[in-house]
Amino acid sequence: MPRPAPDTIAFTVDGLEVNAPAGMMLADAAKLGDVEIPVFCYEPKLGEPVGACRMCLVEIEGIPKLQTACSTPVRDGMAVNTQTARVKEAQEAVLEFLLINHPLDCPVCDKGGECPLQDITYGWGPGRSRFIEPKRHFVKPLALSPLIAIDRERCILCYRCVRFSQEISEDYQLVLQERGADSYVSTFDGHPYVAPFSGNIIELCPVGALTSQPYRFRARPWDIEGSGSVCLGCPGQCNVEYTVRDERVLRVLSRQHDGVDDGWLCDRGRFGYQSFHVDERVTHPLVRVDGELIPVAWDRALDEAAAALGGAGSDSGALAGGKTTNEEGWLLQELFRGALGSPNVDSRADGMLPRELHAALHAPALQATVPDLEFAHAVLVLDCEPVDDQPSLDLRIRKGVRRNGVKLAVASSRPSSLDANAAAVVRYAPGAGEAFCAALNGALGESDAGPGSATRKGVVEELAEAAGADADAVRALAAVLADAGEDVVIVYGERLTHGARGEDAARALLNVCGRVAEAGHDGAGLLEVPAGTNGRGLREVGVLPNAAPGLAPVSPVGLASAELGASAAAGAISALYLLHVDPLRDLPGRATWRAALQRADHVIAHADFLSEGLWEYATIVFPAESYAEKEGTITHPDGRVQRLRPAIARPDAVRAEWNVIADLSKRLGHDVSVLSGAMASARVFEAIPFYAGLTLDELGGRGLRWPARPAAAGWPAADTGPFGLETPPHAPTPNGALRLGTFRSIWAAQEVEVAPALKFLRQRQRAELHPVDAERMGLAHGDRVTVGSNGSRVQATVVLRSGVPEGSVFLEAGIAEESASELDGGGLVEVSPQ
Amino acid sequence: MTGPTILFEDIDERGLNTIDVYRRRGGYESLRKVLTTMQPSEVVDELMASGLRGRGGAGFPSGRKISFIPKVDVDKYLVCNADESEPGTFKDRELMQKSPHMLIEGIVIGAFAAGATKSFIYIRGEYVEQADIIDAAIVEAREAGFLGENILGSGFGLTLHLHRGAGAYICGEETGLLDSLEGKRGNPRLKPPFPANQGLYQGPTVINNVETLATMPHIIKMGGAEYAKIGTETSAGTKLVSVSGNVQRPGNYEIELGISSREIIYGLAGGPPEGRAVKMWFPGGSSSPVLTGDDLDIAYDFNTLAQAKSMLGSGAIIVVDDSVPVVSVALKLAKFYKHESCGKCTPCREGTRWTVSMLERVDQGLATPMDLDIMASVQEQIIGNCLCVLGDAMAMPIGSMVAKFRDEFEAHIEAARARNPWAGEGPPDPDPVLVQGASGA
Amino acid sequence: MSWTPGDEMLVVQRASPPGAAGGTYRAFGETLRGLKTTMSRLVEGPKTISYPEEKVPVYPRFRGRHRLHRFEDTGLEKCVGCSLCAAACPADCIRVVAAENTPENRVSAGERYAAVYEINLARCIFCGYCEVACPFDAITMGHDYEMSAYNRTDLIFTKEMLLDEPLERTPLRGEGE
Repeated sequence: MPRPAPDTIAFTVDGLEVNAPAGMMLADAAKLGDVEIPVFCYEPKLGEPVGACRMCLVEIEGIPKLQTACSTPVRDGMAVNTQTARVKEAQEAVLEFLLINHPLDCPVCDKGGECPLQDITYGWGPGRSRFIEPKRHFVKPLALSPLIAIDRERCILCYRCVRFSQEISEDYQLVLQERGADSYVSTFDGHPYVAPFSGNIIELCPVGALTSQPYRFRARPWDIEGSGSVCLGCPGQCNVEYTVRDERVLRVLSRQHDGVDDGWLCDRGRFGYQSFHVDERVTHPLVRVDGELIPVAWDRALDEAAAALGGAGSDSGALAGGKTTNEEGWLLQELFRGALGSPNVDSRADGMLPRELHAALHAPALQATVPDLEFAHAVLVLDCEPVDDQPSLDLRIRKGVRRNGVKLAVASSRPSSLDANAAAVVRYAPGAGEAFCAALNGALGESDAGPGSATRKGVVEELAEAAGADADAVRALAAVLADAGEDVVIVYGERLTHGARGEDAARALLNVCGRVAEAGHDGAGLLEVPAGTNGRGLREVGVLPNAAPGLAPVSPVGLASAELGASAAAGAISALYLLHVDPLRDLPGRATWRAALQRADHVIAHADFLSEGLWEYATIVFPAESYAEKEGTITHPDGRVQRLRPAIARPDAVRAEWNVIADLSKRLGHDVSVLSGAMASARVFEAIPFYAGLTLDELGGRGLRWPARPAAAGWPAADTGPFGLETPPHAPTPNGALRLGTFRSIWAAQEVEVAPALKFLRQRQRAELHPVDAERMGLAHGDRVTVGSNGSRVQATVVLRSGVPEGSVFLEAGIAEESASELDGGGLVEVSPQ
Repeated sequence: MTGPTILFEDIDERGLNTIDVYRRRGGYESLRKVLTTMQPSEVVDELMASGLRGRGGAGFPSGRKISFIPKVDVDKYLVCNADESEPGTFKDRELMQKSPHMLIEGIVIGAFAAGATKSFIYIRGEYVEQADIIDAAIVEAREAGFLGENILGSGFGLTLHLHRGAGAYICGEETGLLDSLEGKRGNPRLKPPFPANQGLYQGPTVINNVETLATMPHIIKMGGAEYAKIGTETSAGTKLVSVSGNVQRPGNYEIELGISSREIIYGLAGGPPEGRAVKMWFPGGSSSPVLTGDDLDIAYDFNTLAQAKSMLGSGAIIVVDDSVPVVSVALKLAKFYKHESCGKCTPCREGTRWTVSMLERVDQGLATPMDLDIMASVQEQIIGNCLCVLGDAMAMPIGSMVAKFRDEFEAHIEAARARNPWAGEGPPDPDPVLVQGASGA
Repeated sequence: MSWTPGDEMLVVQRASPPGAAGGTYRAFGETLRGLKTTMSRLVEGPKTISYPEEKVPVYPRFRGRHRLHRFEDTGLEKCVGCSLCAAACPADCIRVVAAENTPENRVSAGERYAAVYEINLARCIFCGYCEVACPFDAITMGHDYEMSAYNRTDLIFTKEMLLDEPLERTPLRGEGE
């Protein structure tokens, strides 16, 4: 869908000629002429204006009544007056009305000092009120949720929060109750407003009616400093601004970036900052002495780590978690490849993809961007749940569907929250992404070949059956993609390419992509949702067993994470280096990894919290920086290289991690000559051909998409298909048992478990079942069950969901206790009541 | 004389609400004529020629309203606004109760002219009996082939649904009605876009009052030019007026537009009780600025009333005689509008509440004549600054009452102050702490 | 060129020395005249203020050490921790950290109260802007001026110190004094 490219028109505001894009709302366009029109309810991010607050009334020549500037698009030759007596009178009237029921407890109110109502009253208000009657009273303050406090007396009923809930996050929880002057914002049934994006209403509120519980009364605007950086919570990499007072982060605000986050944050990103300052955090290097981790001096920890790694030599392996920056990743592979001669470095959770497939999946010609989702003709969400895996995408897709009529197709095994917005939905068996792609490819080919081609027809049925999906639904989905137009974006989860058959799945995906999205066409292509925050960046800086920095070939090829675990469990690996990753928590195959950690002589970890695996098995733990302390760069899934800037000082003995790795490298005889964070970035930009020429200054606060730079020519060329593929294996037949699918919810994260404000969202294992399966097994909603397979088992609570395909059960991974990764492969599990 | 009767000609005939009696009286003949001999544009022309103006309140020419509907191939809608909630108005109730088929016939004609294929009647929740009658009439009409697919073999099809409101005045505002019909909270929408372009479910929509639609069959029957001869040049036709208040014979009367108001109030409704005089009267429902006893001789039509700085509105005349204090009328009225304000836009939400509390103070003797100036100024601040006309609907009559009966307001204040021992101290504030924190405005 | 002192010598004309009577008067008369003032003040008694045993009274509007106040009836603190004083302070010597009142622990009348209220009197310039900024009259400039300490950190006054009555009251100058 072509993006709107409006003509520039000229209009006058207060006698000043101003040029603005046609169709821009007057309230925005006047700003181009340095004329400010006060607004309360108008917020362009919320979509269509509602004109409720009446603050922006202006006089337009030729129209007898005053008009709302927020809802009047500018036209050529329009003459607008914002300073006439009539306008002033109306503005003063509206402010007098608004302040009638506003308590004016500004000294107590958290918004005081950064309050639009306060500012506008000073700027445009009448100065005094003639109102002497009692004000409207409500009970206050009340908890709208454990995260948000609501003060209804302060509310000016601008509808912003309600519109956010209804039209942006589409959780439909907030409503206005009652009528007239008695109206108040509430959830429909009075339940707490708990939703993935609820915190955004705090930032939207133009008065102090909605305030953040964790930030409540912590600081005033003149006590604090703002510091921009990027959130490392998920691959969305939203741009944030930390509010800092006395070297503590007190609040996280959005730093709107239309190319990344559109100005919204999820609650995990907004409130997770509390984890930076909790007592559980590791702030000193630890070394295991007599079975216990004790704090030691840096020199001792580094010496011991160097000795351990030096002794292990190539019998060592390293894993990097998603929160690793490009610099740390690059230094890590230098340490292992350069200093130790060990090729065993990996950043992917499961399985190895050939280098050419990495190159094909992320080829600049096939790369879609985040804003493309908003303007595409069709979007296919494949094997991922945006709200859990990369929350900002969820809002972006909803925006595209709601405002621009994007046709949405959803294909996943677990029911998605986007199903209701989708034009076509396909459910397939857990892990059958490859078979689904093949079926979809067949269905797309069928429509290319015209209907009634009998031989092809049978193929689609066969493949759909292998995927455990309905062939008609696959065809309907194919039709949505084929008929929409040329701009088709496929958003796929990295997990599609995980596992032993990940390679085939990636090829099947490229086949589908080749049918619907033309290579090199702007606004169409692939967009990956990586499993880790900086998944893409780590692959590009060479944290892969089969690729050096810049996806250059490497020899010999090292062990991928799963093989590394198996190899360590067999005793072949002496030292494991875990950079921001705890295999027991973050990787599949807990049993193997437990054995591996137990067997390895040395387990060296960088961590901010001692999760289970590290607490029990780590021999040396270096304290990790929180992401408000980090310096470096990360790469967004759409290729945008973004810069992290430290907002607060590192507490206690915490040292910069690039420094720790570089130090180790030097101690092991491989001096990488990195003396500062900026030097580390410069080395990374030098080492990677397609980052060539980047500088930190150029990245600035907004980042840069490297695929859009000339240096992108340095990306390795690769065959993007179509590929001839063997028939994918049939999804396992349940046959009395259930197929196991796993997911990682938005709340399955360390910061949720430690941040006091988010603790109430801590996830406990639940087994999502179809009601028919539950009935067959005699289970009801809320029952406790044991899910077992091959002798491994986890405890869970039954949750019935009619969207879950029959014959499947979904368990949560990535949680602290009873994680689904405990279950031993095979794909089939038994569910039995406790 | 009050001129010809059109809508009420057979209104009191027993059983007119059944299709048999209605057809015997010539019902559905206009529809047959429209569907078998006319093009939609001809119907619109006929309506334009008739000079028919909307009977709901705003008085917009009905033919032009239909002609605004874009001629594009999308689902179009016709909505009949039967949410007759304006205090003093009860003409549609009688029409729907006694002659529902006249309305249905009008709806089909209107829908044909607009090219709408789906139509709705939004009836206020309190009209339970009328809703039942219309429901029954819709079934009859559908069975007789006047609704549904391919009406009278013309190829034109129309569905008609009756939707019962839940008792909100604001749902009589056309866009609030559409939101309510869509299942949302009944709040007015921002205009533009106007319903003719984006109305119900974002489709082009015609919204007409019951009386307007019920008049359409008669215009077709008589011919637009003939209809235009009734009434005055700018206010053609007859009008149902609901007369209520201090009169001897309250009720609905059909009058020819342009007759003198005195003739309606004294002639038809019998005037105020013996020994009383008209103090003021609302010419077009409670939201029209009041006129005084001196204005009784002006002609009752759209333009003359507008010149008198009032309006014909829904044609509901409320007469107030000299036994009633103006403050109690104003307070009653303001309380109604405060209760019915939807709360979406600021001036209406806060202005109605403020006006009520000021009037209460006036009534209790806690006010001074200066408060009357504030009250008048608040009404001016509301008028024209709101999202819809509800705010204006309170501000205009209250403003006109304060202007025209200021002496009585002041006398009331004096008398009440003398009675009230608390006078002069102002109302007690319930929360001293917050007042202490108050600064500036 | 040599220098001969005689060239620049000035001849001073001296009056003839006084006689015996004149000499005696010069020795005693002038002295006695001076002593007259001394003697006349002597009877008035000593005027020395023996600080610190005695203190100079201050004017009522003297801006001394700050005081925080409580409501007399409820005993609640007037300060709600709004930080406006900190915003107004040109010397940046006030630090406020607010917290929320709970029904169990009600400290101030509003929703919030100052959990930490510190004034660094080593930096304070006693301008009184904090007093002007305070919307609740919770902070006023008191009359104490004795704020010396052996340690700079002792000059950081906490909320409790500011709320308490000063150990000794500074004498106030009366009307017209």
